[in-house]
Amino acid sequence: MGPLIPNDLLSHEWNFIIAIIIGIAFGYILEASGFSSSRKLAGVFYGYDFVVLKVFFTAALVSIIGILYMDYLGYLDFNLLYIHPTYLWGAIIGGIIMGLGFVSGGFCPGTSLCGVAIGKIDAWVFVGGILIGIFFFSEFYTLFEPLYNGSFDGYVTLMDTFGVDPYWFVFGFTILAIVSFYLADLVRKRVKKVFYN
Amino acid sequence: MINRKLAKVLSFRYIVLAVVFIALAGGLVLLPKFEKHEGIKPEKLLSNAISSERYISSDELAHKIINQDPSFLLIDVRDEESYSKYSLPNSINIPLEKLLEDDSEGYLNQDEFDVILFSNDNFYSDQAWLLCNRLEYKNMRVLEGGINTWFTTIIKPEKPTENQPASDFELYAFRKAASMYFGVVYPDQVKAEPIEKKAAPKKIISVKKKKKMPVEGGC
Repeated sequence: MGPLIPNDLLSHEWNFIIAIIIGIAFGYILEASGFSSSRKLAGVFYGYDFVVLKVFFTAALVSIIGILYMDYLGYLDFNLLYIHPTYLWGAIIGGIIMGLGFVSGGFCPGTSLCGVAIGKIDAWVFVGGILIGIFFFSEFYTLFEPLYNGSFDGYVTLMDTFGVDPYWFVFGFTILAIVSFYLADLVRKRVKKVFYN
Repeated sequence: MINRKLAKVLSFRYIVLAVVFIALAGGLVLLPKFEKHEGIKPEKLLSNAISSERYISSDELAHKIINQDPSFLLIDVRDEESYSKYSLPNSINIPLEKLLEDDSEGYLNQDEFDVILFSNDNFYSDQAWLLCNRLEYKNMRVLEGGINTWFTTIIKPEKPTENQPASDFELYAFRKAASMYFGVVYPDQVKAEPIEKKAAPKKIISVKKKKKMPVEGGC
């Protein structure tokens, strides 16, 4: 049956409409759970708040478990899903830059837009920085191009790379997540509490 | 009282969630596995199999070849020996045993050309068609009746008898013309040619002689 659009159960124009609806819901939930606060987001680096880790880890788990169950029951064809292509060095260097931006600015790109929506000045500055970065990247594209398009490894997944059965992999991933939540809680209890809103 | 009880339950909420997660993920591992159906769906395969587009008649193929239609590939699925003895013009030999090899995939798995499979009749080519369809290769067709039908219709068409309809005569005319294209010579052609050849040299020789004689005498 699924995915709906590749199987032509919905036309391609619906892509944008569904994206807008999901985007609005995502933004609302981010804001409602306090993700528009840069202090909360940066907390994961300083050890006083691990909500970011917990939320995104849990979200990944819920989706992968849900997808595998739906695939098992025949509601969704696992092989038709989009897999993000791997550009290894581009991803590593981009990840470092993004991490530096995250720890210094206290936002990731999505949450910064949430912050903008509720009028936080630091979020405005952060988004300004993103735009400057985009401008810089576009102007020097020829310089960055070999990194951007280089070391292309294809549409690989961890399950393919390690040759693990996906079900066992997800089981291991779940255990890893729960252990990391527990450890994160231990760390949080030892670190001095920070109050913010 | 109620609030305290609720608070007690809620204090375990993360543990409960963790247990739910482990149960769900463990469920995935413990679920009985079954072989998933890969490739074309049975319904699609059946609808392809009964579709009239599956076969191409020898007349259609002859028409395509004569008009130098560039949109198709002819694939001979017989063994190499039969292929070297006789095959259709510009065909490629991929014996049925080698159909699934990597070298063959470039010819079979593409969108640009219609692939027309043939063998002596359509027995082996149908098998090849089925295999290719299971692999979801596109635009696969089979020459109906294979080379045998090609031979009885195009190479050696049967002349219709007088009580058959006009359309049969038209078809015969087409097939006869096609067979001439593919190199068949008919007795009426053979008879007509020698008469012309005999007549021409005689005339030329006589003219030459007449011309030469007076010139020689003059010198």
